[in-house]
Amino acid sequence: MVEADARFGPQGPGLQRLTDTAGILRHEDREQVEAALDRITRRLPQLFAAVYTGALGEAANIRQFGFWLLNRTTFEDVAADQRNDAGILITLDPESKTAGMVCGYQLDAFLEEADTFDCLSRAHAYWLEERYADGFVKALAHLEAVLCKRSRQALRHPQHFQQKVSVPVMPGGHAIHRQPGHLPAAGEITEGQP
Amino acid sequence: MSGWRASLAAAAWLAAAGASAEEPPLPAWNEAQRAAGLVDGALLTAAGPEPVASEPLGLAPPTAEESAVSENPAPGIPEKFWMAYFGERPRKFLIDPQGLLSANDTRERLGFLNYHAGDSAIDLFVYVFKGDQEIPGELRAEEMAERFFASGRPAAIVWYFQGAPRRAVLHLSPSLTDAVAATEQRRALESSIMQAMAKDNPSAQLEAFLVQMSIRIYWMEQLWRGGAAAGTPASHDDKPAKKSDKKSQMLAKLQPLLEKARRFVLPAAGAVGALVVAALIVAWLRMRTRYRLPALAVEPRLGGDHAAGAGAVISFASANHSLASQREQRPDNPRRG
Repeated sequence: MVEADARFGPQGPGLQRLTDTAGILRHEDREQVEAALDRITRRLPQLFAAVYTGALGEAANIRQFGFWLLNRTTFEDVAADQRNDAGILITLDPESKTAGMVCGYQLDAFLEEADTFDCLSRAHAYWLEERYADGFVKALAHLEAVLCKRSRQALRHPQHFQQKVSVPVMPGGHAIHRQPGHLPAAGEITEGQP
Repeated sequence: MSGWRASLAAAAWLAAAGASAEEPPLPAWNEAQRAAGLVDGALLTAAGPEPVASEPLGLAPPTAEESAVSENPAPGIPEKFWMAYFGERPRKFLIDPQGLLSANDTRERLGFLNYHAGDSAIDLFVYVFKGDQEIPGELRAEEMAERFFASGRPAAIVWYFQGAPRRAVLHLSPSLTDAVAATEQRRALESSIMQAMAKDNPSAQLEAFLVQMSIRIYWMEQLWRGGAAAGTPASHDDKPAKKSDKKSQMLAKLQPLLEKARRFVLPAAGAVGALVVAALIVAWLRMRTRYRLPALAVEPRLGGDHAAGAGAVISFASANHSLASQREQRPDNPRRG
């Protein structure tokens, strides 16, 4: 994170869930992508998804940039009580022709790297033809389907997902709130429950 | 039968009335008038020509034998047999109410005709008359064929005069007349007559006649079937009787099943409708379903407050750079700790 801060700055910019810095989306394209983003929040109220497009320059690493952005930015059109832990960010650099997906801690147990790869794969054919909006919509639709499936699986086999993370949860099923740099104190850790 | 009599009486009355009516005399002119030319209106006022006495033709008067023949015309069919012959569609293929054939001949001919009916789609009905008997003048063969043989299996109707095969007459039921040309009908009759004439015994003549007619009917059947298959214009009666019989039998067999199936149509439609509605409701509910993920505490990694950078990166610079080769992410991925 220190390295990323050094490269991109210690403070992230304030962004909308859809930020088209690269200017590759037309007005109607934006509507389509925003609808797909809204749909994820509607069906999975705990979560939100965001899309960022921008030219990162030759030296930039899109993976590092996505990691930095999700940790440092503030999404202005996301509910105030929703932290970036519950966010999924897709970043796309139209110059280097690369795209990445990064997700917050709340999704750690539910989204494998292979899942994110599959989501981006759905968009690959469209992005090859520079149909960026269509690619985002497809990727977000697949993401929504995967998360809904994981939610049903978590209802049936909560232990399976619990085992993927090492830190137990507080009684009542609430995750321990973490501030930047915060680690749960010994007294806060209890036995997890499904 | 009373209808024939009434029509006969009507015809006789008309003839008598025509003869008795007074007609105006036709105009006639003598030579002087012709030479002088005709004046206007002379045609209407002129008297008729003078009658010219007819000269004898010089023909010999009729002989006594001829006079005798004319005095004894050919006998008709006794009225008591009219109903049996012409009153209804015959129930047997051999119609001989006068008992002109011997019992043995009747059995054999009837057996042959029954065999023919089993082997052919066209039935053969044979009316047997005496060799010198005359068919009642009021009777029209075409009308009889139309009345009795318009429905049911197609049929060939033969009026056969015992001992006088030359007088035989052939008619076809209306369903056949379109398909079998008159020429073919005449040939069939002539060849049958020829076969009969080759025999001396009237019984053998009838037998030969029927055998040949049965053979010719086979060819008629081919023509008829060919016409039906080629879609030649034909009335609804042209449909093959045997096929329609089979169809009706099959339908009769299937009818109970159809009745049973009909009872289930409404419930089945209701069930399908209910399933469709249920599927729509399920789809609607799933659309409205809100999914939640259990909140699990995760230890922060790589100094990230909200995320550790777990996720994939792809390149879409070229179609040659396949997705499959990108599935294995590079080792510098910032993975979970």
